Amino acid sequence: MNKQMTSDNTGNNRNKNKNTTTKWFSNVTLIRESQIMKIHYITAVGALFVVAIHIMMRLIMPFNMSLEFENVILNYKNVFYALLLESILILIAIHGFNGLRVILLEIRQTQIWERGVNILVIVAMIGIIAYGTRTIIIANGFSLG
Amino acid sequence: MTSATSAKRIDDNKNKSNRANREGLRGWLNPIRYGWERVSYWFQRLTGIFLLVYFIGHVYETSSLVSGPDAWAAMLEMTQTIGGHIFLILVIGASTFHTINGIRLIFTHSGQGLGTPGRPDYPYDPTSVNNKQRSGLWIAFILAAVAMLYGANVLFSGGE
Repeated sequence: MNKQMTSDNTGNNRNKNKNTTTKWFSNVTLIRESQIMKIHYITAVGALFVVAIHIMMRLIMPFNMSLEFENVILNYKNVFYALLLESILILIAIHGFNGLRVILLEIRQTQIWERGVNILVIVAMIGIIAYGTRTIIIANGFSLG
Repeated sequence: MTSATSAKRIDDNKNKSNRANREGLRGWLNPIRYGWERVSYWFQRLTGIFLLVYFIGHVYETSSLVSGPDAWAAMLEMTQTIGGHIFLILVIGASTFHTINGIRLIFTHSGQGLGTPGRPDYPYDPTSVNNKQRSGLWIAFILAAVAMLYGANVLFSGGE
């Protein structure tokens, strides 16, 4: 007998999809895809505000002047602005690399591909955050030794 | 023939037919066959990848700051060319479109502005691609164009 699509089994499918989880490195489930998408949207909205401030800081004086070495260093020496840059770095790295992960997982859906993509984006995300943080710390005046 | 062999043969036939229908990356990139939703989907991903590449480049570019004023000036000189300006204008357009269309998508994914579900009647226009969705997409394109014009004005007027 053909299985008819009823409201019951569509409901079950919906619940099944809701429980779709990401198994990052092994069979251990760390986070649901629905939660990852919430993080994706929250980082997007957060980045929108901080990037807007970052751009406005370039436009409060003539654009070329705002990019002079002394002006840029002055920005970095301001602790609040340094924190703003760090938040931009973290928010966009999370949003951007998760976006890349979503695109790559749409292309292929094997287990090894999914794990490889997850590892790749996490390593790249940590790498870019570490590299950007190093610039912020050194330019702010703290020495890394 | 056992039922297991029969089931395996059906699976094999299904796999063959799936492979024959598979278009791969070319199908994924085709923006014209599925209407405006597909255009939005395609541009959102394209601008996202472009902005990620720019973000990585921007983090690398600004790291020259720690090597002193000469290294900073040398790096900055790369963006002070016509090619550099055009690249930055594209970044402005891509980021504006990605932002506005992204806001539309957040609302859409939460079920806002999709219309009510109804019986599929000829000509089977999807109710999800309604005027609200279409106008959201056009607003994204128009604001991206306006932002690019503003950016071009700032960059090509010598940054005054």
